[in-house]
Amino acid sequence: MNDLRREFEAGKNDFLKNNTILRLENITKIYPGTVALYRVNLAIKKGEIHGIIGKNGAGKSTLVNIISGIIAPTEGNIYVKKRKYKSLSTNMAKKEGISIVTQTPQVIPDYSIVENLFYPNFMASRNGLINWNKINYEAKKLKDTLNFNISLESRMSDLPISQQQIVLMIKAFFLEDSQIVILDEVSTSFSKKDQIYLFKIIRKHKSEGKSIIYISHRADEILEICDQVTIFRDGEKVSTKNVLSLDKESISSLIVGNEKNKKKYLNKFTNSKNKKNFKQKILTVNNLRLNGYFKNISFELYKGEIIGVAGLMGSGRTEILKTICGVYQPHSGELKIGNKKIHIKNPSHALNKGIIYLPENRDKEGLISILSVRKNLNLSLLARNKKAKLINLKKEERLTEQLIKKMDIVVASPEQETNDLSGGNKQKVVLGRILASKPIIYLLDEPTKGLDIGAKKSILRIVKEDLSKLGGILITSPEIEDLMLICDRILVLFNGKIINTFIPEEYNEKDIYFSMQGSKH
Amino acid sequence: MDRNLKIKIFCLDNMIWLILGVFILICSIFVPYFFNYKNIMNILYHSSFLGILVLAESLALMSGHFDLSIESTLAFAPGIGILIATKWFPEIHPIFSIIATLLVGAGIGLFNGVCIAKIKINPFLQTLSMLIILRGLVLFLIPFSISNLPEIFVFLGGSKLVMNIPTAIFVMFIIFFLFRFIFKRTRYGRIFIATGGNREASFIAGVDTERIIVSAFILSGTLAAMSGLLVAGRQNAVTNAMGTNWVLLTFAGAVLGGVSLSGGKGTIMGILGGTLFLGVVDNVLTLVGLSVFLVYATKGFLIFIAIVIDQYKTKFRREILQREILQREKLKDISIK
Repeated sequence: MNDLRREFEAGKNDFLKNNTILRLENITKIYPGTVALYRVNLAIKKGEIHGIIGKNGAGKSTLVNIISGIIAPTEGNIYVKKRKYKSLSTNMAKKEGISIVTQTPQVIPDYSIVENLFYPNFMASRNGLINWNKINYEAKKLKDTLNFNISLESRMSDLPISQQQIVLMIKAFFLEDSQIVILDEVSTSFSKKDQIYLFKIIRKHKSEGKSIIYISHRADEILEICDQVTIFRDGEKVSTKNVLSLDKESISSLIVGNEKNKKKYLNKFTNSKNKKNFKQKILTVNNLRLNGYFKNISFELYKGEIIGVAGLMGSGRTEILKTICGVYQPHSGELKIGNKKIHIKNPSHALNKGIIYLPENRDKEGLISILSVRKNLNLSLLARNKKAKLINLKKEERLTEQLIKKMDIVVASPEQETNDLSGGNKQKVVLGRILASKPIIYLLDEPTKGLDIGAKKSILRIVKEDLSKLGGILITSPEIEDLMLICDRILVLFNGKIINTFIPEEYNEKDIYFSMQGSKH
Repeated sequence: MDRNLKIKIFCLDNMIWLILGVFILICSIFVPYFFNYKNIMNILYHSSFLGILVLAESLALMSGHFDLSIESTLAFAPGIGILIATKWFPEIHPIFSIIATLLVGAGIGLFNGVCIAKIKINPFLQTLSMLIILRGLVLFLIPFSISNLPEIFVFLGGSKLVMNIPTAIFVMFIIFFLFRFIFKRTRYGRIFIATGGNREASFIAGVDTERIIVSAFILSGTLAAMSGLLVAGRQNAVTNAMGTNWVLLTFAGAVLGGVSLSGGKGTIMGILGGTLFLGVVDNVLTLVGLSVFLVYATKGFLIFIAIVIDQYKTKFRREILQREILQREKLKDISIK
């Protein structure tokens, strides 16, 4: 009892001294197989904009989810103002004045902006009646003070994502009276204009003595808007620094960290690499443009070559792959397969020409999850062989067994629904499906996303050893190390443009990461 | 996979046939006049009309959509066919009335399919409007009924072949086995079911999904017209009330047969089992003298039971396979060590 009291007093003093509004103490989160966060300490002060930056998988989202009450930490304490919590629930977080705005805005699409702003309470009186005059008046007042130039009557679904997010932020900042607002990679889809407006309202919010936790991939944003920055790497806090003591380059090197350990891992994989000469050009992309996503994209892909496409979220990497395989139609530019100019109508047409795409979202776009492993593995092959009307079941069974063996997929039976497999095995099924159709151009969109180390390694090995013998590969990954392991060239995308190309001799995680932040050498 | 597991999975996947078998066994013992040649033929004969319509609905369901208009197509298509042969072009050979019937069914399906797959109209609204439009047109074109049909027109639905077996039963089995072959052995059947299971993923995997969906509706319309042809043959007349309220029963048959309303799931043999089960239940309840209205209610109750059983079946299937995976992973670990 005494201990508790002392702790409480100590905490109180701490708050009084530093003006701290939220403090995390030794927060650890363990998932089966991985440690997502390890002993993280963090303090957010009143009236502070606190940036959090790190690579994918560094633990940013886990941290955010713990603060906003979506998940409970395995160990550690959370202090909000004077109260100590083992974990928060979303309700408690809300009551303590913590709100969150995420990358995919949580809106009610068919409500107007006003209705979304005042949802769910609508400032209703106790008998549940809504006074619309009052609400409209308040909304108008808010709009005038914030210089918010969107019609309040328009439906939420008519707005672009960026503006939907701005509406949600206005709600969190000025209507919900939140003490701490977490902005989780909100600016990914923002134009320059949106961003300027966003920073304006963030500063206004700050001037009212309230705090913001700003999560981002982008160093330039963090440097512009934040007071303090905390850098995360591999589930651990690296350090918290004042923003004035940092620049883009020093942030990049803090994010990437020490390279020595990684080199070893790298060598294991690449020692077989001898200087290759690529001769046969199989794909030429010339000035490809998709309005709003990317422009001036030009490169050549040779047989046997693996090109990595590195870029932050929203840099256009997925869209480029999807355009090459015909999911999107480019606004200008041309594609050549071999020496023949070609216009790809849809993925079916692309497959006919030997191009196949492995989607980033494997559950939604990659698998037919209620169908069996066998049917999934053979789908693209069947889609491609238009002439073969009948299926040779014996041959199909043999092929299925070969693929399961080769890809090392763990299943009870080839007739099992893919729904019930683990993430790594699902991805191997998708990859197996692609391999079976024997294309010459492979577009792999984050094939290692969300996989554990073992599965990741075996997927990369398959790409390197099997796919590259059959044709050319374009691969994206959130992890630069993965690309450095297998790629013969890495293109760096920033805001929809290729701003840099790295060859293996220049591979260096820090440089590539720095480049992804938008700086040429 | 050991034999035990294989048998378990097989039983789960063909559960409707097990249930049907047990049900027939029980009825044969307890219900008088049930198990004799004439009654069994009677059940099959009456199942053939609905069965083909259930298949039509199931194809739409398996492609991830549904088709409410089939019960109106069932009356409209033979209506147009027979009007061509008897009123509009009386000099034409009567075989064209059959061809016209099937073509009209296919045409309606084509229209539905194009509107749904390409213009992206909601399938419920699209086929609902067709349901009403076609029924209205039938009521207008055929004020009561057209009887005295050409002999060739009633052959499929009204005649009998060897051992007094109605031709319609053969037609039903031939169609079902044809589709069983298509779904088991052809490329088309496989990419069809994949499109129903996940349209987006199939599109990206290189399937021409629009074409598949249009073709699903064409097949659905053609089969509905075929069913209408049989019904007209049975009563030797085309009436304007043919098929009224049948569409809901087709959902019952499909669901009993293991077809999922969200698409991508279902086997042709399952659908046949579901249809026959509906037919047997109908027959037995009538034999024991239950009120027709209670028979109708019972069919509704069967849908409910079918869905509940399906839920548990899926869960159970998943659990036994999951257990198998765990064992394999353990074995793998041991072999590595």
